[in-house]
Amino acid sequence: MAVAERVHVGPQLEVKDLQTYFYAREGVVHAVDGVSYDIQKGETLGLVGESGCGKSVSALSIMRLIPDPPGRIVGGSIIFEARDLTTMDEKELRKIRGNQISMVFQDPMTSLNPVLRIGGQMTESIRYHLHLSKTEAEDRALGLMEAVGIPDGRRRLRDYPHQFSGGMRQRIMIAMALSCDPHLLIADEPTTGLDVTIQAQILDLMKRMQDKFGMSILLITHDLGVVAGTTSRVAVMYAGKIVEQATTKELFAHPQHPYTLALLHSIPRLDGRARDVLSSIPGAPPDLLDPEAGCRFFERCDRAEARCREEEPVLRSLEGDRHAVACHRPCNLGER
Amino acid sequence: MAIPLLSVRNLTKRFPITSGIVFQKAVGWVHAVENVSFDVFPGKTLGLVGESGCGKTTTGRCILQLYRPTSGTVQLEGVELTTLRGRALRTVRRDMQVVFQDPYASLNPRKNVGKIVDEPLAIHNILAGAERRARVLELLDTVGLSAQFAKRYPRELSGGQRQRVGLARALALNPKLIICDEPVSALDVSIQAQILNLLEELRGRLGLTYIFIAHDLSVVKHVSERVAVMYLGHIVEMALSDDLFANPVHPYTFALMSAIPIPDPEVEETRVHTVLEGDVPSPAHPPSGCPFHPRCFQAQEVCSQETPELEDRGGGHTAACFFPLDRS
Repeated sequence: MAVAERVHVGPQLEVKDLQTYFYAREGVVHAVDGVSYDIQKGETLGLVGESGCGKSVSALSIMRLIPDPPGRIVGGSIIFEARDLTTMDEKELRKIRGNQISMVFQDPMTSLNPVLRIGGQMTESIRYHLHLSKTEAEDRALGLMEAVGIPDGRRRLRDYPHQFSGGMRQRIMIAMALSCDPHLLIADEPTTGLDVTIQAQILDLMKRMQDKFGMSILLITHDLGVVAGTTSRVAVMYAGKIVEQATTKELFAHPQHPYTLALLHSIPRLDGRARDVLSSIPGAPPDLLDPEAGCRFFERCDRAEARCREEEPVLRSLEGDRHAVACHRPCNLGER
Repeated sequence: MAIPLLSVRNLTKRFPITSGIVFQKAVGWVHAVENVSFDVFPGKTLGLVGESGCGKTTTGRCILQLYRPTSGTVQLEGVELTTLRGRALRTVRRDMQVVFQDPYASLNPRKNVGKIVDEPLAIHNILAGAERRARVLELLDTVGLSAQFAKRYPRELSGGQRQRVGLARALALNPKLIICDEPVSALDVSIQAQILNLLEELRGRLGLTYIFIAHDLSVVKHVSERVAVMYLGHIVEMALSDDLFANPVHPYTFALMSAIPIPDPEVEETRVHTVLEGDVPSPAHPPSGCPFHPRCFQAQEVCSQETPELEDRGGGHTAACFFPLDRS
């Protein structure tokens, strides 16, 4: 690993019992409700789930970018290199954002400023965090452009965002995110909305950048295919909670939570047979407005029993640290 | 050989790029669809797959005559559609319907579900009074929505429910052909499976024929009997679904399939990805010769000079390439 001088030991990031609520007129939306995970150094953790499950809110909470009001982190802690981000003041946070922790968002068009040249946008955080002069910052930006595969960098620094294609813009976002050697990169649906051949380029790029800079990655996605190829561990979210967490291989080989299992069976596979009936999950995810007690998957679950309605299952380890599941009746526990 | 329900021959659609405010003149052309030909047989599904801007949606709209083709022919049961106008065209449109991608934008927010599904019946003056109301409820039932949904408005529905309404509307006139334009790409995977299963069930039960347009190869493979792969307005390869995915012969199809991650870490670990370089060229300035040659790993000099034709590579598997990959 290229960056060896890091002194901090333990996980790169530790999220403990995080609760982020939104206070709407109709009630309290429990968007993230008691979520815990950690990311080791140099590791890629996948956070998967469908729209509205709270995966993006959990990432924005780490960056403390939850709009307040209506949102607020009401409980839990986020420990980054032995410091709690939830209690840190704004001044301290600014030193970390874009520097030690950086983020790549889904839509590269809306996350770049359309009326500013790329060069200015790329050098802004370099100059702010690393205290470099304009020319030094530009040289650094040029090196990054080259690293992410944008040819003719010197000229392109003077271009505006609209002069780049979607894939190129996402490369620029990645270059900007890497510009201050972050220890943690949060990638929120980095390839959603891109064509598959461009998605392959971006995933390939992220992998090479991780080899080169050695940062940890939190990859947020709804695409189980992307997770399978790029992560070492996965956490599955459903309705504001983590329902299952395991190493990627273990999760795909022995899914324990009925939701994970159903999700895996509901996607058509390129290497599968054509026209098999897909197993679909009946109904839709529950409303997170003042949720009721009990398991949140209860109504859609084919294994549910009376106790699932009343008693909320907690995330418990199955075998050491490799696999944890929040379910009263996990799937193939007996058959293993 | 069965008689095709739909025959498309040499379909070409170009959109003008105009300049000037009062006196507009064309200063260039976007080559959206170039010389596309295919047949769709009754009761079968043809998949049209490709990346954004490859012309798959334009092809669908040219079939429906929502766009008038620049040249080429479109025949539905032997009737030439490109020259039809007015009443005659409206009559033919009963036989072909469309389900759109975005279930949020394709339903009128001011009409309730009952009205939305009723509209095709009203326009074509089919049934009246109690019979028509019964038909609307029957249609809702067909797509798995209970009668109480008739009184609801689109904003009260989830994405999957909206797509069911769009499907009920398309089914209202008992069409022979339904063009599904990215019907599941806006939906979450668990809901996507519900809609895909419903489409397949209806095809069997009502004897429908689909043209299924999507960018997601896994989905297209799952629903289609035959698949046509499009790139920059051209069909580059066409074959039976299983055959295409087992033996892609066009380098683009091969690269496209290789780029799709498979949801299985054991498979992904050993898989070799062929990552294409660069972006899709602009259809306003298509490259000379084969449209794929600037990104192709097989390209040689002839590829930039001549355009390859679709040729049979055995068993009805066609591909437009001078240097096709070996069929294993």
